[in-house]
Amino acid sequence: MQSYRLLILPFLILAVSFTILYPNFADRTLKIVVREDVYSLPEANQKELVNALFDRWAKDYGKTSGWTIEPQGALPPKENPFYTVKGRFITSAKINQISQENQSLVSESKNKLEPTWIEETIRGGKSLSIKLGLDLQGGMRVVLKGDFDDYTSKLKDLYAKELTELNLTLSNPATKPEDKEKAKSRLAEIESSFDLSPMRKIVELEKAKMIIDNRLTTQNLTEPQVRIQKEQDAIEVSLPGVSNSAAILEILQNTETVEYRLEEPTPFLYKSQIADNERRMMDLGKRENTDIFLFQELVKNKAGKKAQDEFLEGLEKKYNIPKDFKVYAMWARGNAAKSALLPRSFVVLERKIALSGNDMTNAQPSYNSNSYGWMVSFTLTPNGAEKFFDLTSQNRGRNLAIVWGDKVISNPVINDPIAGGRAEISGSFSEQEAIRLANVISEGALPIPLSVLEMRFIGPTLGIESIEVGVKAVAIGFFLVMVYMIFYYRLGGFIADLSLLVNLIILAALLTLMDFTLTLPGIAGIILTAGMAVDANVIIYERIREEIEEGRALSIAVTRGFENAFWTIMDANVTTLIAGILMIRLGNGPIKGFAITLCWGIVTTLFTSLFLSRLFMELTVNRIGVHHLNLRPFFFGKKETTNA
Amino acid sequence: MRNINFTKYKYFTLSFSFLAIVFGFAVTFGKYGGFAHSLDFNGGLRTVVELPADKSRSDLDGYFQSKNIEAVVILLEKEKNIYQLDIGLGSLDTIETLYKEIPEANRESSTSAIDRFVQLLRYEYKLPKEKVLSADQVGAVVGGELTEVGITLLLTTLAIILLYLSIRSQFKFALASSIALVHDILMTLALIGFLQIKPSVPIIAALLTLLGYSINDKIVVFDRIRENAHGKDNLALSNIINVSITQTLGRTINTSFTTMISVVAIIVGGAVELYDFAFVLLFGVIVGTYSSIYIAAPISEIYDQLRKKRFA
Repeated sequence: MQSYRLLILPFLILAVSFTILYPNFADRTLKIVVREDVYSLPEANQKELVNALFDRWAKDYGKTSGWTIEPQGALPPKENPFYTVKGRFITSAKINQISQENQSLVSESKNKLEPTWIEETIRGGKSLSIKLGLDLQGGMRVVLKGDFDDYTSKLKDLYAKELTELNLTLSNPATKPEDKEKAKSRLAEIESSFDLSPMRKIVELEKAKMIIDNRLTTQNLTEPQVRIQKEQDAIEVSLPGVSNSAAILEILQNTETVEYRLEEPTPFLYKSQIADNERRMMDLGKRENTDIFLFQELVKNKAGKKAQDEFLEGLEKKYNIPKDFKVYAMWARGNAAKSALLPRSFVVLERKIALSGNDMTNAQPSYNSNSYGWMVSFTLTPNGAEKFFDLTSQNRGRNLAIVWGDKVISNPVINDPIAGGRAEISGSFSEQEAIRLANVISEGALPIPLSVLEMRFIGPTLGIESIEVGVKAVAIGFFLVMVYMIFYYRLGGFIADLSLLVNLIILAALLTLMDFTLTLPGIAGIILTAGMAVDANVIIYERIREEIEEGRALSIAVTRGFENAFWTIMDANVTTLIAGILMIRLGNGPIKGFAITLCWGIVTTLFTSLFLSRLFMELTVNRIGVHHLNLRPFFFGKKETTNA
Repeated sequence: MRNINFTKYKYFTLSFSFLAIVFGFAVTFGKYGGFAHSLDFNGGLRTVVELPADKSRSDLDGYFQSKNIEAVVILLEKEKNIYQLDIGLGSLDTIETLYKEIPEANRESSTSAIDRFVQLLRYEYKLPKEKVLSADQVGAVVGGELTEVGITLLLTTLAIILLYLSIRSQFKFALASSIALVHDILMTLALIGFLQIKPSVPIIAALLTLLGYSINDKIVVFDRIRENAHGKDNLALSNIINVSITQTLGRTINTSFTTMISVVAIIVGGAVELYDFAFVLLFGVIVGTYSSIYIAAPISEIYDQLRKKRFA
C-alpha cells in the first residue's frame, strides 16, 4: 500500500464531497413571488406593502448578509411578478421569515430557491444544502384540530347497511325474541361507537399522528416533531426550516381515503335515469345545463369539497335515489394524453363501504406497458383478503367501484372471485397520481379530517446566542485539538489532522446526500465521531512508537503499528456501530438524529483512519523518504532516532 | 516503563462507585422526590415575549429566582429583545399565589394557568398585549415514551455488546465492559438527579455521547489486556491488567484530553443553554475513563479469580 496511485481514491472522494457540498456555499438565486391580487390594489396600499418589505429588509439583511434584492424599493412588473434575491447562505428559515412577515405581499407557496447547476445535474433540481433542525434554525409550527363530526358521519356510512337490517329485524313482528335481543345488543354496540369519549378521541388522534409522521418522513423531513395536544383535540406539528408551508399543509391535511363500493345492481336503474336526462339535455342543445357540465365547472373553479358534496347530494334528491345508495362522479382523462382528470359521468354506488383502505397495505405504483398507463398494485391484509374473496364470489357480474377520495377512478366488472390477497387498480393515472394513490393506501388515510387552528413561524428552540456561541466553541475546540495533535505527535499529528478534516468533509457530504436534518443531538454525534477519529490515530501512533522503541526500522514500525491497532479500532467502532444501528431502529427524534450521524461517522472514520492515514503515513515514510519520525511531544519528548 | 499498580485499589474504587451511585439516587429521590421537571419531559407553559429594550436576560432570571419560579429563559432574537420563557409544571402553584397578589384592576379573571402567567408577566413588566407573541400550555416532546425506549435500548445494546465481545475476546471482558457501561450511565444519572439538572433533549444527546465514548474507551483498554493475556493463562491477570493499562495510559490521557478540549470550549464559551449538555458530557468523559481503569478491569480480574477458584 505504498503507491502514489492510491492517492487517486481519496482525491476522487474529496472531489465528489466538495461537489455535493458546493450548493451550501454557492451564490444562490431566490425568487420571491408577489401575490397576484396585489396588482389590483390601490397604489397607496401597494406602496405601503412594498415599504414594509424594504424597511424590514434594510434592517435585517441589508447591511450584514450581503444579499441583494431586485427591483429595489418598487413592485416588480406584472408580467414578471417576483423579486430576485441573490446571495450566499440563503436558508429556508430566512425565506420563511421574509414571507411570513410580508404575507399580504408575498405568495409564499410559490417562492423558489433556484437550484444550482450541481443540484440540477445530480438530483434533478432537488436541494443539496444541509438542513438544520427546528432547535437550530426555527421553522413552522402548525396546530391541526380534529373534526370529529365528519368522522362520525363516515362511520355511519360504514355501518349504514347493517343498521337498516338491524332496524328491520327489530320492527319485524315475526322475529324470534332471542334474535331481537341479539339485534338490540348489536345496535347498541354500533351506536356506542358513534359516541366519542375523550379516550376514543385520543386513540383516533394517535392514529392520525402516526399517519402524519409517515407522510412527513416521505417528504424527506427527518426530524419533524408531531405531538398531540389533548386539551384541544389537536395535533401540533413542528417543521424545521420548511419554506413551502402551503404544500406541506396540503399533505398533512389530506384525508383522502381509498375504498371499494359495489355499484347498483344491473340494469342500473338510477344511473340510466340520470344518463337519460343528460342525453335529453344534449339533444336540446343545452350542453351547459347538463349536470356533468355543471359539476365540471365546479371542479374547474376549485369550488372545494363542500360545494361538490352538496352538488352530488342535490342530484340524489333530484332523482329520488334511495338512502342506501349514493351518487358519485366517475373521473377520467380525455383522449388527449395530457388532458386533465375531470368528472366524466355519474355512477350510483351502494352507501355501504365494501372494503376500506384499512384492509389494504403495501401499495406500489407501476407502469403497465401493455396499456401504456400507470397502475397501483397492493396487498390485502389477511382479514381484507377474506372479505375481498367473499365480496367477489358473491357479486359476480356486478361492478365494483374504486373510490379515491370522492372520485370513482374505475369500476371494473367482477368476472371471477379473487383470492390470494393481491389486487391492482388501473385507471387513467399520471405517474404522480399513481404515487399519491399508492401512498394513501400504504400509509392509510387520516381517520379524522384536520383543520388548521394555528400556523406560524417560530424561532430556534435553542436561543440565537447559544447557537452562535456553541458553533464558535465547537470550532475553537476542533482547532485546539488539531494544534494539540501536532504538538504531541508532530508530523504524525499533522497527518492525523489531515485525515480528520477529510473525515468531516466526507461525513458532511454523506449526510447531505441523505437529506439529513442536522439538530443538536446530530452535532453531538459529530463531536463523538471526531473524538473517536482522533482516538483511532492516537492508538495507531502509540503502537508505532512502541515499535520504534523496540528498535524496529521505521517503515516496519509503521506497518506493524497499523496492523496492531487494526483490530482494536475495528472492535471499538463495530461495537459502537451496533449500538448506533439499534438506536436508529428503536429510537425516535433526538436519539435517531444522534445515531444517524454517529453511524455514518463510524463508516467515514474507519475509512480515514485505517486507509487514508495509513496511506499518508506510508507514503511519507517510504516514498517521500522521511527517515526520522518523532512521535513525542515538542519540548518534553526525548529524542529518538531510527534507521530507515 | 514503570508499571503502575492499578488493581491494588480495586475494592476501594468499587465501593466508592457503589456508594456514590446509591448516595446520588438517595438524594434524588429522598430529598427532591425524583429528577427535576422540565418542559421537554413533563410539559409546561411556554411564552414568547418582546421585552422593552432596557430589560435583559439577567432581569428575567433575577425575577424568576426571587419569586421561586422554575423558568428557562431563552433569547430568541437579539435585535428585538424577544425571549422564550419555559415554565415547568412544578411552579404552577407559585404562579397561582402570585397571580392573586396582582391588584384587582390589573387582572382579567381567567382560570387557565397560562392566562394567569401571562397576566402576571404583563403586570410585572408593564407589557401591552401585543408584546406577548405567543403563550401555550405545551405537552412533553419527549418523556414517558423516551424513558421506555431508552431502557429497552440500553438493555439491547448491552446484550449485543456482551455477545460481540464474548465472540471477539472472552466473556469476562465482555461482562466487565457491560457492567462498567451501566456504571457510567448510573453515575451520570445520579449526578443529574443530585444536582437537579433539568432533563432535556441536549441532556439525552450528552448521555448518548458518553455511552459511545465509554464503549470505545473500554474496548481499547480491554483489547490490550486481551492481547497481553494471550497464551499466558498461568500468569496472574492483575499483573497483565496493570501492564496493559500502563501501556495504554498515554493513549487514554490523550484521548480524554482531546475530547475534553471541545467540551470545555462549550462551557467556557458561555452558551447558556448548552451548559448542562457540556457539563454532563465532561463528567461522562471523566467517569468513562475512570471506569475503564478502575471498574471494568478489576471486575474482570475478580471474575477471573472466582472462576479459577471454582475450577481449582
